[in-house]
Amino acid sequence: MSTPAISIQHVTKVFPVPFRREKVVAVSDLSLEVEAGQVYGLLGPNGSGKSTTMKIVLGLVSPTTGRTEIFGRDSTLVESREDVGFLPENPYFYKYLTGEETLRFFGKLCGIRGKALSQRTKELLVLVGLENAADRRLGGYSKGMLQRIGLAQALVQEPRLLVLDEPTAGVDPAGSREIRDLILRFKERGITVLLCSHLLSQVQEICDRVGILHRGVLVREGRLEDLISIENQTELILENASPALLAEIEAKVAIFGGRVLERRKPQTNLERFFLDVTGDSSPSNTPGTDDRTTRSHSHS
Amino acid sequence: MKRLFVALAALLIFGAVKLPFERSLAAEHRRAFFHAAELNLELREQIGQGGFIAALSGFRSVLADLLWIRAHVAWENTEWGRMKLLFDAVTSLQPRALPFWEGAAWQMAYNASVAAFNDPDQPREALRQKAQREYFQLGEQYLLRGIKFNPDRAILFDRLGLIYQDKMKDPCKAAWAYGEAAKRKDAMPYVQRLALYNLARCPGREAEAYSGLVKLFHKGKEERLLTLLTRIDELQEKLNIPPEQRIDTAPDRKEATPR
Amino acid sequence: MSAPATIGPATQHQAFSFGRIGAITSNTLLELVRLKVFYFLLLFGIILIGSSLFMVNFTFQQQFQVLKDVSLGSMSIFTWLLGVLSTAMLLPKDVEDRTLYTILAKPVPRFEYLLGKLLGVLALLAIATALMSVVFVAVLYARQQWEIAQAIRSLPDDQIQAAITGIKEAAFGGSLVQAVIIIYLKAALCASFTLLISIFASSMIFTIIVSVMVYFIGHIQGIAREYWLAEGAGPMAKIFLSFVALLFPDLQLFNLVDDIVVGTLVPAMMFWKTAGLGVIYILVYLFAGYFVFAGKEL
Repeated sequence: MSTPAISIQHVTKVFPVPFRREKVVAVSDLSLEVEAGQVYGLLGPNGSGKSTTMKIVLGLVSPTTGRTEIFGRDSTLVESREDVGFLPENPYFYKYLTGEETLRFFGKLCGIRGKALSQRTKELLVLVGLENAADRRLGGYSKGMLQRIGLAQALVQEPRLLVLDEPTAGVDPAGSREIRDLILRFKERGITVLLCSHLLSQVQEICDRVGILHRGVLVREGRLEDLISIENQTELILENASPALLAEIEAKVAIFGGRVLERRKPQTNLERFFLDVTGDSSPSNTPGTDDRTTRSHSHS
Repeated sequence: MKRLFVALAALLIFGAVKLPFERSLAAEHRRAFFHAAELNLELREQIGQGGFIAALSGFRSVLADLLWIRAHVAWENTEWGRMKLLFDAVTSLQPRALPFWEGAAWQMAYNASVAAFNDPDQPREALRQKAQREYFQLGEQYLLRGIKFNPDRAILFDRLGLIYQDKMKDPCKAAWAYGEAAKRKDAMPYVQRLALYNLARCPGREAEAYSGLVKLFHKGKEERLLTLLTRIDELQEKLNIPPEQRIDTAPDRKEATPR
Repeated sequence: MSAPATIGPATQHQAFSFGRIGAITSNTLLELVRLKVFYFLLLFGIILIGSSLFMVNFTFQQQFQVLKDVSLGSMSIFTWLLGVLSTAMLLPKDVEDRTLYTILAKPVPRFEYLLGKLLGVLALLAIATALMSVVFVAVLYARQQWEIAQAIRSLPDDQIQAAITGIKEAAFGGSLVQAVIIIYLKAALCASFTLLISIFASSMIFTIIVSVMVYFIGHIQGIAREYWLAEGAGPMAKIFLSFVALLFPDLQLFNLVDDIVVGTLVPAMMFWKTAGLGVIYILVYLFAGYFVFAGKEL
């Protein structure tokens, strides 16, 4: 198998509390691997150690014990950051810079300059759909636009790994959806994504694997489908099914020793309904998201 | 936190290394006449705590200016005692500023002394004369103190010579002061002459004065001013110089115009 | 699952890059300039012009001295304040806006980040000092020309040349250039120190208060040092004094303006030693700051 994008090995992080004996254990003996190309969701309530874990991976905080690697390079080494882009929670950046200037600034920090920098900046602005706001100062950007410029700066040196902290926090549903679609597009391009969030529905929609942190301990970890599908149950969604057909099916089920637990009409979720009503989601922004439930009504 | 203490220890070690260097540099500064101000308790009483802190932290000069302006106001109100206190503070703060010493001495020896002599509230002349003499001495003291801080400059010696010559009528001291002025690099062209003129009047120093004046005489025509010729004549008489050795001042006298 | 061709190998990492430092420096400078710090120049100009129009009763030597005292004194306080206040806000602002995280999550060594920030402040101070110097020289020159015009009008012909020489000496004589450089270095030293404090300080106010205290203690460090090394102080006092003497810079050594304005000349060797000491202090504080910053949990 290829080198994992992230490898966390027995990491423990203890924060001393000033003027007190006891210490706070933020992360406790955490081991985790994120394979290249995956979208990995790190879940957990506030204070569960998500942010600390992320900061350790990025070398912003050093672990008390254990070590982390990014594509095989120790996180404590500056060069490990060549391969990672980071979007912090609620980023503000420099308000006095325009979108383009922001990207140029971060590009320079990654050693890109001259023509390559101009070209990369343009590409990224198009990628995140901000080409029309390139000359506006970030002070006038909406939350969603800030988040998108944040994604663009994270990608500036074409890293193989993206670390995103609550990328959709505080963003309206339309913006949130755009960000989600962007993440899926990154995945198509082969970029590994580590996503920290407590918005479970979104994680569910885009993550291949999830880990759940609780009080600094990784309580569950695995492929999303494995974790949440109920093995002995099957969902069947029908369109235009007549009562007769349904009765027939139920009878067959009984014959084969199965049991119908529930019969109901699938509902659209509130988010989708909201987007329908406000008509705010552009069609170009919905590539390849497979709908788990059909939107057509099953009137019998 | 641990690193903070290590950094602190490193700074202390650096402190031990830089300390001798700072000391020697401070000494070098003083040799170049920097930081001569004596910021002592006496001065602190004069300028107050706030002023003292300001003086310590780079505003010594500005503070001296402010007090100097106040002294100027005091002069306009003829408050001589207050002026003296302010001059003391100003010169303590800025001992390298020649205009302050010069100005303070001038105010005392020339303005305050005259005011004291003309004091309408003091009917007894002897006391008025005494007060006047005291102001002369104050002027002298400012200049002598100023010279202590500025031994390299001619101007204060020159002003001192003038006070000795005109106010205190002491040609011996005047000759000394002008002579010192003449030794400085920035000496004015006239101080050597004035030193000799005064020396000529100083009992017992006449021969010395005469040889100096003759030297000046031979230096060239531009030195042969009327006073110089008069002093030479006087001394030739007084010292009984044999006629064949005497200088004939008559030809130059015709050319020299009294100033 | 393997990475597709669109993703190249990791970029080559440079251990030290002037490009990165330059990017941080220019951004820091831009950030500070955008805070409209240069408005203080107006104040500086008003003080200067005010003090140059003032005190017509004094001799021209005294007037020039007052003008130079006030100018260089204000220059000294403005550069110092600018250095301390702008440096104190840099790190807290980057933490607050999380730009610190985005920058350090890039392949930027912490040393380069710190150096870039400091250089940004030093560039700001250099610009401010240069601008103030231009205003100062302009006012002083105008005053000199006025004084010369007065002399030409009121003096007999044979005295004019001497008077003009005297006026020029009183106006621009002395080590003014050295004075300005030392003022700059003092402010830069204080900025570097402030940066060190701000790395472990919990708030901006704390940083500023400590920095101001160091400024005042630094000016009496020399007194404490000599008193410590002289006989007579008690053991407790000695410990305290040694602490002050070792830990604080002798800022009095960078306080040459008071004597320069009255014509005291700065010998070349002494100037270089003093300037060198200033640069060493700046570097020592930078490296001490880096050492603390390198181990800091962000």
